[in-house]
Amino acid sequence: MATETEYNKPLPDINELTKPYWDAAKRHELVIQRCSDCGHYRNPPSPNCPRCLSPNAHWPKLSGRGKVFSWVVFHRVYAPGFANEVPYNVAVVELDEGPKVISNIIDCKLEDIKVGMPVEVTFEDVTDEVSLTRFRPV
Amino acid sequence: CAFIELSLSPPPGSETPYQGRGAQGEGAAHGLFGAMGGISMVARRHMALYGTKQEHLGAVAVAFRKNAIINPIAQMRKPMTMEDYMNSRWIIEPFHINDCALVSDGGRALIVTSAERARALRQPPVYIMGMGQGHNVSDPLRKEDFLDTGAGRSAETAFKMAGVTPKDIQVAHLYDAATYNVITQLEEYGFCKRGEGGPFVEGGRIERGGKLPLNPSGGQLSEVYIQGWTGPPEIVRQLRGDCGERQNKGVELGLVSNQGGSMNFHSTLILRR
Repeated sequence: MATETEYNKPLPDINELTKPYWDAAKRHELVIQRCSDCGHYRNPPSPNCPRCLSPNAHWPKLSGRGKVFSWVVFHRVYAPGFANEVPYNVAVVELDEGPKVISNIIDCKLEDIKVGMPVEVTFEDVTDEVSLTRFRPV
Repeated sequence: CAFIELSLSPPPGSETPYQGRGAQGEGAAHGLFGAMGGISMVARRHMALYGTKQEHLGAVAVAFRKNAIINPIAQMRKPMTMEDYMNSRWIIEPFHINDCALVSDGGRALIVTSAERARALRQPPVYIMGMGQGHNVSDPLRKEDFLDTGAGRSAETAFKMAGVTPKDIQVAHLYDAATYNVITQLEEYGFCKRGEGGPFVEGGRIERGGKLPLNPSGGQLSEVYIQGWTGPPEIVRQLRGDCGERQNKGVELGLVSNQGGSMNFHSTLILRR
């Protein structure tokens, strides 16, 4: 398992607003902020609901299932930590419950990734503190 | 025009690895970086929904290169065929290097004055007939319509002010941070329907002498990338009839668009000779 000194990719910004997401990710659970008044999911999280402006929110656990909404393949190295990864994919996954997340597709050849492909979440412990989602084809 | 710049080295004095852009830096954690990262992600979605092809992106790149070749101050003067484009190296699939705007340093100046004063000056005046703005600063993950950029609202305001429609435009510079920007603007502006931008750029329609010549200087893809300044001087000069070999003959009504961010900020100018 990579330690903090070995892992040299950018880490997410964990702050008061995003902490519930990253705490859940560490437990290998996918949660997304949901308005407690109108039920609208929102990612990225925010203090108020973009639909009804309510400040009341909770973070329900989701099914982890979704579909590839879009995806790209990086060939250029933008950060040194990714020098050994290119070419690598980045995907937007539309979860079954509605919200979208950024992640990577694993266990799938680059040429086999398709928009609309059903996927399910898994988690990778990249450091002692941080676990990231990955999605694999169902 | 706002623009997104991405430093390739960590911020000075930074203890932690470089944090890229994206929702709370989460994008960077997954390897998503830069304006091209964001735009290519939208382009792929468009290709999946509408059958837009790699060759459609290529048609934009090839058309603008043809214009740059005869522009003495353009950065890219080497001919580029569709085959050259298709074989050029990938940056972020579906974007080849030739889908992405140049990196440039440069300076431009525009003098804006009253119509009265302009009439007394040396060059034929070019009149500002309409202006518009439209912005979609929603995080891409939150957008109701992933393909919407705000361009349509900008165009609508400008067209209404100028009292003209897309059909009346004879020459235009559509902000080309990437080839895809041109395709989506053609749709959002109403030059064609949503999803038809790919076929629209086929067959020379947007080339010099075509039905809607675009980016006659070579654009940000092949002339120079100085954000919002690439377009206006060329369209002014086209309307003056001042472009020599690059001239689209007899054009009297032109349009310039400008963008910022990752297709988040949008403005439009409609100009008349």
